[in-house]
Amino acid sequence: MDGGDVDGGVGGGGGIEKDEEAEERTELLRDRFRLSVISIANAEAKKLDMEASEPVVACVADLAFKYTAEQLARDVELFAQHAGRKSVNMEDIILSAHRNKHLTGLLRSFSQELKGKGPQTERKRKKSSKKEDKAIPS
Amino acid sequence: MEEETFDPELICSIFKLVWSRRATERNESIEVVDVEVGDRTKKNRQTTANSNALKLSCELIRIFVTEAVQRSGMIAEAEGINKIEPTHLERVLPQLLLDF
Repeated sequence: MDGGDVDGGVGGGGGIEKDEEAEERTELLRDRFRLSVISIANAEAKKLDMEASEPVVACVADLAFKYTAEQLARDVELFAQHAGRKSVNMEDIILSAHRNKHLTGLLRSFSQELKGKGPQTERKRKKSSKKEDKAIPS
Repeated sequence: MEEETFDPELICSIFKLVWSRRATERNESIEVVDVEVGDRTKKNRQTTANSNALKLSCELIRIFVTEAVQRSGMIAEAEGINKIEPTHLERVLPQLLLDF
């Protein structure tokens, strides 16, 4: 994103172009996202021996996109900022699910798995295996 | 075990789009004197996400989709139908949105 073409400063022609560009990008991402949702939703329905009708899948895709772009992105950004960080980490994601204990548990175990697979070359091997032993239920 | 899930890159792009928009909004409300510096000023550096956080978000959103389908599926099953229709989704929507 080049901030270099801010001529008049407040809005003006540059502002409108940026908005259109952002709109296009959003639509592109929304479409890619929708495709992923379609395959995930259909796979889930199949597991249940059922079929998901098109409007249902489209609706779930829209809801999920809205959730991601409006709630999740904003929440985790706020949490990271609140913690004085510029980078969102796993704890922020886990925190965003705080209203649902079951979900929090699922995310926490998934995050443990991710930490376990993580780059063991970054920290000393001894340290990381010690951490894994201690870190079981957090 | 082929678990279908989202592409972390895609989620990353969505996040970045949202965060850059918010950063621009912040820039417009605060009086930024050094416009040339653009995105690099300390206060306005854009939020990023680390890779594990992205994978975890993919999982979270995947669970959202899965829950939506599973819960609607249960309603459909209770009605003895094997095709999930919008009415089934409607029934589960309030609780789904509250849970997330």
